[in-house]
Amino acid sequence: MLDQTEGYTTEDGRKIGGVVMEMKNITLRFGGVVAIQDISFDVREGEIRAIIGPNGAGKSSMLNVISGFYNPQEGEVWYKGEKRPQMKPYQVAQQGIARTFQNIALFEGMSVLDNVMTGRIRQMKSGLLAQSLWKGKAEREEVENRAFVERIIDFLEIQHIRKTPVGRLPYGLKKRVELARALAAEPSILLLDEPMAGMNVEEKEDMSRFVLDVNDEFGTTIVLIEHDMGVVMDLSDRVVVMDYGKKIGDGTPDEVRSNQAVIDAYLGVAHD
Amino acid sequence: MAQSSRGADGLSSIPALLQRNAAQFGARPAYREKEYGIWQSWTWAEAEQEIEALALGLLNLGVDKGDFIAIIGRNRPYFYWSMVAAQSVGAIPVPVYQDSASDEMAYVLDHCGARFAVAEDQEQVDKIIDIQDDLHQFEHMIYVDPRGLRKYDHSKLHQFAQVQEQGRAAKDSLMSELTARRDALDYDSTCVMLYTSGTTGKPKGVVLSNRNIIEASKSSSEFDHLTRNEEVLAYLPMAWVGDFIFSIGQAYWCGFCVNCPESPDTMQVNLREIGPTYYFAPPRVFEGQLTNVMIRMEDASRMKQWLFHTFMAHARKVGPAILDGKSVSGWDRLKYKLGGLLVYGPLKDTLGLGRVRVGYTAGEAIGPEIFDFYRSLGINLKQLYGQTEASVFITLQPDGEVYSDTVGVAAPGVELKIAESGEVFYRGDGVFEEYYKNAESTASTKDAEGWVATGDAGFIDEATGHLKIIDRAKDVGKMADGSLFAPKYVENKLKFYPNILEAVVFGNQREQCTAFINIDLNAVGNWAERNNIGYASYQELAGHPRVLETVKEHVEEVNRSLAEDPMLAHCQVHRFLVLHKELDADDGEMTRTRKVRRGVISEKFEELLGALYDGSEEKFTTTEVTYEDGRKGSISATLKIVEAQVVPVAQEKVAAE
Amino acid sequence: MPDQLIFGMEVFLNGLMAGVLYALVALGFVLIYKASGIFNYAQGVMALFAALTLVGIMEGQVPFSHLINAIFGTEVHHFGWHVPALAAILLTMVVMVALAWVVNVLIFKHLVNQEPIILFMATIGLAYFLEGFGDMMWGSDIKTMDVGLPQGINEVIDTTTAGWFGYGFFIDNLDIVATVIAAALVFTLIVFAQYTKQGRAMRAVADDHQAALSVGISLNFIWVMVWSLAGFVALVAGIMWGTKSGVQFSLSLIALKALPVLMLGGFTSIPGAIVGGLLIGVGEKLFEFAIGAPYLGGATEIWFAYVLALIFLVFRPQGLFGEKIIERV
Repeated sequence: MLDQTEGYTTEDGRKIGGVVMEMKNITLRFGGVVAIQDISFDVREGEIRAIIGPNGAGKSSMLNVISGFYNPQEGEVWYKGEKRPQMKPYQVAQQGIARTFQNIALFEGMSVLDNVMTGRIRQMKSGLLAQSLWKGKAEREEVENRAFVERIIDFLEIQHIRKTPVGRLPYGLKKRVELARALAAEPSILLLDEPMAGMNVEEKEDMSRFVLDVNDEFGTTIVLIEHDMGVVMDLSDRVVVMDYGKKIGDGTPDEVRSNQAVIDAYLGVAHD
Repeated sequence: MAQSSRGADGLSSIPALLQRNAAQFGARPAYREKEYGIWQSWTWAEAEQEIEALALGLLNLGVDKGDFIAIIGRNRPYFYWSMVAAQSVGAIPVPVYQDSASDEMAYVLDHCGARFAVAEDQEQVDKIIDIQDDLHQFEHMIYVDPRGLRKYDHSKLHQFAQVQEQGRAAKDSLMSELTARRDALDYDSTCVMLYTSGTTGKPKGVVLSNRNIIEASKSSSEFDHLTRNEEVLAYLPMAWVGDFIFSIGQAYWCGFCVNCPESPDTMQVNLREIGPTYYFAPPRVFEGQLTNVMIRMEDASRMKQWLFHTFMAHARKVGPAILDGKSVSGWDRLKYKLGGLLVYGPLKDTLGLGRVRVGYTAGEAIGPEIFDFYRSLGINLKQLYGQTEASVFITLQPDGEVYSDTVGVAAPGVELKIAESGEVFYRGDGVFEEYYKNAESTASTKDAEGWVATGDAGFIDEATGHLKIIDRAKDVGKMADGSLFAPKYVENKLKFYPNILEAVVFGNQREQCTAFINIDLNAVGNWAERNNIGYASYQELAGHPRVLETVKEHVEEVNRSLAEDPMLAHCQVHRFLVLHKELDADDGEMTRTRKVRRGVISEKFEELLGALYDGSEEKFTTTEVTYEDGRKGSISATLKIVEAQVVPVAQEKVAAE
Repeated sequence: MPDQLIFGMEVFLNGLMAGVLYALVALGFVLIYKASGIFNYAQGVMALFAALTLVGIMEGQVPFSHLINAIFGTEVHHFGWHVPALAAILLTMVVMVALAWVVNVLIFKHLVNQEPIILFMATIGLAYFLEGFGDMMWGSDIKTMDVGLPQGINEVIDTTTAGWFGYGFFIDNLDIVATVIAAALVFTLIVFAQYTKQGRAMRAVADDHQAALSVGISLNFIWVMVWSLAGFVALVAGIMWGTKSGVQFSLSLIALKALPVLMLGGFTSIPGAIVGGLLIGVGEKLFEFAIGAPYLGGATEIWFAYVLALIFLVFRPQGLFGEKIIERV
């Protein structure tokens, strides 16, 4: 078993830290339907943690629990060593957990720059009055945040669409803008909901590279959901496998790959 | 020919020019680059500091005199500095096309025996690491962008900023060595080695001396009265001789500022922000811009369309004459001024060409429509004819003597000669030293008297005294009946239609001419959208009956105009097909500078070519394609072969003279 | 110059001024609609309520005096003091913010993700409640309002135009002030929306709730802010109308005039509300002047705006400035 406080070192030499988030016996029900049943796992600082499983396994529900969009009926979420009370999604975001959505939730009418700037809302401290008067601190804050956002824009190579309204962008670029907005928040945990969904091979490769680079460059802890097994195995340090709302595997990609329950879930009786 | 080994005022190398600029006007801007949304800039004094630090760092890494240093990246100040720093330590910079595939890059690095490389980012570093094992002489690599490279083994890998840092730290011990090496540079030392992409065979390393570059830069700058106040946007490949002359040769000679775009995709926006005064673009860029304008105008309000068309018609009538300083009636002048206020000015600003004082295009023939469009707006767009082997300039159009179908008069210091065969020869100070490690090619290109064969066929136009280029000399062939076959001439005429991106005409030793055609996805796609024609792919659009119909009309128009010229009437296109894929440099069908490789194409699409001549109406074919990441795949399609109307040619043959 | 034309010009100018007031009310609608997708039928009543409160505070009226007197048999009506206009305006603003908060906590927080029609019905309920509540709080008699805005004919314009045309234009000073204030208000709102964190958050919420939540924006905070802003705009409109024609319950009817303004300008466009307001203001006055009065027996002002809006709905349903559907990818 991994130690709670000490981390481990990955094959490619990255240092993974202690546990930053722990899900303890989470159960989520919608009416009579059990979406997640008694699932526990942890996320360590600096790692890329994947949650995989067939369609309808409860992956998205789990991500929504982490990001506060759903509140589980049972179980506890521990974040940075403290038990998290029931929270609204915006409060979770303000704690430094940023996310993207499978179907992309961007502000379509706003420019790419404005979209990414909204990611900085957590960092903008000056109040309504100061903002309205556009004075001193507020102005400085805006400039600093803009500079930070420009680094993200450069990092994700979206300079050419900086002023373009998001609604006009093709799908692949929208996904990248959404990632940029999440990154702008300087999250301690970045949740990616099917970041490769609907992409062609080339876009998938680009996105994989960005995910790895984000983790490498900023040391961001990443939790991602994906059903493309190939992508997940290449990207992640540890994988949780879910099926029918239950956890059926947890470990490194190699461990998971050789896990009989996982093989059955993917190759055995097909559901959905 | 007695030549001094020193240039004017002792300025016989680029590093010497750098020191002059830093000393004489050190506070003026030398480089700008947009990064993180802001234009960062470096003065000449700062540039000198940066280059010196890098040069010291290179010495520190053990760069010897005469070493080759490969430079692989898009236009960024760091790579320009790398070139000059390499020269400063007596090494020879070899800029390499950054979109080269691994094997192309391997050939170049192996051929010149580069010991060092300066590369932009992980992508380039990975490419070199892939091929490194086959390059015995290769030692160190310097990269600019550290992203993703942190985990790499850094024993032979260095970050640009750190190399500079180490250079600065070792300044005391290395400065005298640097000074000595820099002072040893003279007019005969090699300035740069550039690999020509070449339409056939392996690339050749063209060795250009300081004399070549500085003399060519000096005389061409004087020709167009370039000053240190010019602004240029560096966006064309650094491995191309043109960029070396514009962004280093002329920039250092005149002392003007080189602006680097934020990313390749932001070029158009950056162009608007900078507003260059001196601008070069290949015809396809001008063509693309014009197409975009036209597409935007079609979506504009009726009022705007009316304004645009009315005033553009007037501009076409009097614009070029006003630009050439010819007499134009007062009323027309006034109307042109009004047009300038309402249409031309805003349009030029949108295009980023509002401040262009000297603009050039070259490399391919430019469509007269396109050329006139820009000139009528009041943009002083001219043509030049050049080659890597000439340090660019062979001929140039002087101000006030500009025609869409000539390439101008001999550049200052250049002599021209047309051989019996029609091939154009030149000599002058810009003429290259040799092809590196290729004496045979050097000898077959450059004779003992210094005359260089261009490989192009042309003639001096009697009316204007300008050179006119018809085609590649070796591509000018004979048809079965002995009449002239000039495929490129026909292809260019076809390509002047916005719908046609590329054309390849066949007919050498054959009874009649036929053609492969690539449609322009941008233009045709837009047309399809407006006409509610759905399509899922290039292939589907290319095969659409209405697209074929449109292309057929274009071909027939070309045939009619060819028929008017007795020399070329036989080159009318009888049958053609629209290819199912875009011709692509990655598949070897074009050069990196987008010239079609006729041989490769006719071999690769042999069965299609056969179908053009055997009378069949359609042909099924499968073609292998290479994706950007190097993987291969294949596409197949059934292509329609279209008969085009030709104008009957009089049977009596016109004498070839 | 023919007299008809000169009169026409004066009518035109007066129409512009009336249009400014329509625009102000419409602006309140647009703000709330953009941020929350709620068509706030109560916007007009909010203007009335704001005006009533302002007058009440200025005159030191005891709120709910009827109720208090009826229950306790007392006879209190006034505190006996007068509050200066500026302080009263600030106090009224506090009341409007409180109202925004209460409205959100009691009503709209519970109706998140409901159908637009349900939200609309809720605002109708709110409108009638607020009307009754205002009545109960401040009494139903017509009040005059004077916060110190200049009123009466503008002498300068009168004499200047008299010099030019031999006929002095009658332009009310209040209308000029209203125009200036409206312009300043719009400018401020646009700057606020474009360049401040809260403005950006407001646009974000308007665009996509889920996405806004995920970047840490509290929807409740933004909604209270937007309703407060709408309350502020209502207060400004209330002051203008109240000064012009007295604070009376017919004030709430101007909300209905804002409807055609919105159809013209588009429900989501701030500039649209302005231009729409001006067009309707000018349109109805000119129509009455040129066609209505001479040929149709007058009183066309009552229906002109609605007919114009109807025509617009047929030919350009998204309004002049409404968000266009983006066709090209």
